[in-house]
Order: sequence, then structure tokens, then C-alpha cells
Amino acid sequence: MYQQSYQPHQQGQAQHQPILTDEDLAYTVLADLKRVVNEYATAATESSCQQVRSLFTNLLNSTLQMQGQLFKTMEQNNMYSTSSPALRQEIDKQLKQNQQTAQKTDQFLQQLSLGGRMQQPYQQAQAPYMNQQQNNPYSPNSQYQQQSGQSGQHHHGPNPYYM
Amino acid sequence: MLQALTGKELEYLVDSISNEDLLIKQNAVMAESATNMQLRQLGQQMIQTHRQHVQMLLQSISQHQQLAPLQPQQ
Repeated sequence: MYQQSYQPHQQGQAQHQPILTDEDLAYTVLADLKRVVNEYATAATESSCQQVRSLFTNLLNSTLQMQGQLFKTMEQNNMYSTSSPALRQEIDKQLKQNQQTAQKTDQFLQQLSLGGRMQQPYQQAQAPYMNQQQNNPYSPNSQYQQQSGQSGQHHHGPNPYYM
Repeated sequence: MLQALTGKELEYLVDSISNEDLLIKQNAVMAESATNMQLRQLGQQMIQTHRQHVQMLLQSISQHQQLAPLQPQQ
């Protein structure tokens, strides 16, 4: 795990002996980015001025993006070991249980005549699930979002800091 | 539609500036002392983004300056 980053400075590339390894340096930044992401989310929820709220929302997105980029870089350089993959049977079990939960909630809503028309995406989503990472099956509310115009717009909206 | 800043909003803005400032410095250390070129470059890029963030936060505080009451409000 350490091989890649330790070799270079033993070969005399660095002018001085660094105190922290590359992993430590990157991890320190990554940990703080994660902390700041949380803080921006809290700040946004607690803002009453719309302008301040959208500032925090933009900063949240921008910080999330940096965190993702740094994580990817660390992963590519074997500096970050993600947890082992979830087993198929566990996924099957969780999917089944939670589909049932969602169905029960649908029934509950229908009893109250609040069901509306939803295309039950969790059933269609089974097969192509892996190819649709962008399309979270649980955000089919995009119709509603377009109507209300406010929520969810920051993903597509004009955000100059969102490289 | 600009409203006067609440005390809480001001505190979040100020805390955020400290956070961004710290991140600039951490990235500067990474950009200088990492041996991996990808990390060094990413550190340099992130410094610029965090500097923009600081400017945005400062700008937001200054935009609200004129709206702030001079006396404590009920």
C-alpha cells in the first residue's frame, strides 16, 4: 500500500525529508474537506436570507466536488482502501425489504388519497440499476422539481464555481 | 432579495472563512511536500478554489454591511 509513495523520496527526488507521507498529507486535506462539507450543509439549513443560503449551497457543491476529486486521486494511487463489496445476498435482502417498505408507504398514502401517480421506479430499476448511477430511482420527482423551479436546480443551474 | 444577516449567519460566514483559510494552508503544504505529482497539482488547483470561496464569503459579509442595524433589535 505504501510502496508507490515511499519510493520516490528514497531516490532523492525531494529536497528535504518530508515529515508526513503523501497519504497523510492527502488524508488531512480530505478529512477537512469532509468536515467542511458538513458545515456548509448545516449553514445552508440554518440561513434565513435566501442569498446567504444559496451561497452556502454553492460552496457545499464546490467543496463536495473537490472532496470527490481528491478521493479519486487517492484511490487511483492506492492511498485509500474502500470497504469490501457488499454481498449479493445482502443486496437482494435489503432491496426486497425496502421495496416492501416503500410499497407499504404507498398504500398508506393511497388510503389518505395522497398517493398520486408514481411510476414505481423501484421495480423497473432492478436490472439496469448499475448503469444508472446518475438516475437515482428515488428521485423521479424531477417533474415536480421542474414545476416548483427551486429545489434541485443547483445541479444544472448557472454556477460559476462548479468546474 | 437581501435581508439583514442574523447573528448565526454571520457566525457561519466567519467560521467558513477560517475553514477555507485552513484548507488553503493545508493544500499549500500538500502542493509543496507531496512526492506524488498528481497530489501536488491537485493541491495547487484546490488552493485557487478555496481562495475564490474566501472572496465569496467576504463579499457576502460586505454586501450585508449596510443592512445591519446599529442598535440591538428586539
